[in-house]
Amino acid sequence: MQRRQRTEILINGSREIPARLAQQIIDRYEVNTLEQPNNGLVMMKVRETSQKSLFYLGEVFVTESKVQIGQAMGLGLVKGHESELAYQLAVIDAAYQAGIEETKHWTEVLLAEEEVINHKKKAFQHKVLQTKVNFETMDDGN
Amino acid sequence: MGYVAVKGGTMAIEESIRRLKYERVKKGMVLEVDSIESGMRGLIDQVMSESSLYSEILAAISIKQAEGNPEEAVFLMRAYRSTLPRKHYSRTIHSDDMQVERRISASFKDIPGGQILGATTDFIHRLIDFDLMNETEEEVMGWLADFENQDTSAEDMDKTDLQRLPKVLDYLRKEGLLADCENDDREPDDVTRKSLKFPASRSERLQVLTRGQTGTVTSFAYASLRGYGQLHPTVGELRVGDLPVYVDNPVGSLDPDDAYFIGNVKVTEVEMLIPVTVKKEHGKKEIELEIGYGICYGQNETKAIAMGILDNTLGSTNPEFPTENQEFVLYHIDSVEATGFVSHLKMPHYVTFQSKLDSARKTKKADKSGAEEEMSE
Repeated sequence: MQRRQRTEILINGSREIPARLAQQIIDRYEVNTLEQPNNGLVMMKVRETSQKSLFYLGEVFVTESKVQIGQAMGLGLVKGHESELAYQLAVIDAAYQAGIEETKHWTEVLLAEEEVINHKKKAFQHKVLQTKVNFETMDDGN
Repeated sequence: MGYVAVKGGTMAIEESIRRLKYERVKKGMVLEVDSIESGMRGLIDQVMSESSLYSEILAAISIKQAEGNPEEAVFLMRAYRSTLPRKHYSRTIHSDDMQVERRISASFKDIPGGQILGATTDFIHRLIDFDLMNETEEEVMGWLADFENQDTSAEDMDKTDLQRLPKVLDYLRKEGLLADCENDDREPDDVTRKSLKFPASRSERLQVLTRGQTGTVTSFAYASLRGYGQLHPTVGELRVGDLPVYVDNPVGSLDPDDAYFIGNVKVTEVEMLIPVTVKKEHGKKEIELEIGYGICYGQNETKAIAMGILDNTLGSTNPEFPTENQEFVLYHIDSVEATGFVSHLKMPHYVTFQSKLDSARKTKKADKSGAEEEMSE
């Protein structure tokens, strides 16, 4: 599973999943912490829709962590003050980078969580769509 | 006349700081940061937007420390931000990817995907709800359960995908009513790294406007509508929703599938449609539509609309009004700069004021002696 999809599921889904997957690796492999979870900023670059040019909207407060498993480096990066999650994300990232056997069994878990996320998203959309205006013209045609 | 250091106020200052804390806690109640984050969405969004720093929790702590004073909370956020390293830049964010939770147009009744009101104060009566005096958590939990369980049948289910809503602007571009343009991929300027110079680039203008003080941005836009400008804009589209933020792999490819998702950021985005009269060949006049673009953190609709108006006025090549003057607008809308400069006037100016007072006394004395001489003549 590619990183974009994986990180979307790990961040948008239940916190139990990154905690459990990272623990599997920590229990069985030597994980070197290169960078303890620490706070920083990510600058948001946005394309505006008027002249389709780029500008900086502002910064997002993030937590970042870096770990190493063997020769593979893993990065954990998440919005907010999320020390545990940033570390877990880094461990999972390093595990994928190192091609560790366990990661092959994670696809099923992650896809199942993606289903849950999509279901919640649909429920959210359904609620929001109840505020959609159903216009009726007040003209009886006479 | 330079500044002269004085001392002697240390004890008074320490006691003043203690007294400030006393004012915050004197009723013996502690305002929970979680309560601020849960119940003060509007203030949190305003503070994050003016701080140019997206973090609900930091905004909530700042609001608590500042006793709800937005200018002080923004100052605290900006000060903290200056201590943090900028670790990454996001991949370019496109508002088409927004998970929309509110979307309206004042220009077209029937827009593809429909008018979605979401959460808004637009239709409330502005009567104080005195029941809130005695609202309990138990009542709130019951209301929430009812709200979440209230459902319509599957037959009535609207299948609109709120993450794939077409843009009103695209509709106008397809109709040929708006000129289409290619992507402008020039790297943006950054006002936090390089001081503004005039004329400011478009990226600088948008960055200063989006972090501007809400009241000032709104007031300047209002002035341009009321008479200090010639705009008659309409909201083409207003959206509120979450934008996903991705960061490229710092040591890998630029493949979007290899990027890191870091979370969602809630924004308000507005596209203002502004009709302008353009002179064509042989003195012929045509009405064309221009777009003013506004976007800011959180649900800050008035500010985003105002930004869209000022984006257009500041594009003027021949400024006639203050609201078209880049220096007038961009130098004066930042919360920390404006409140900092105005409030610094209460800091001791003993020496400079004494100098002014001396001059005043000398002038009075000279006037008086001049008048006496005239009398004696």
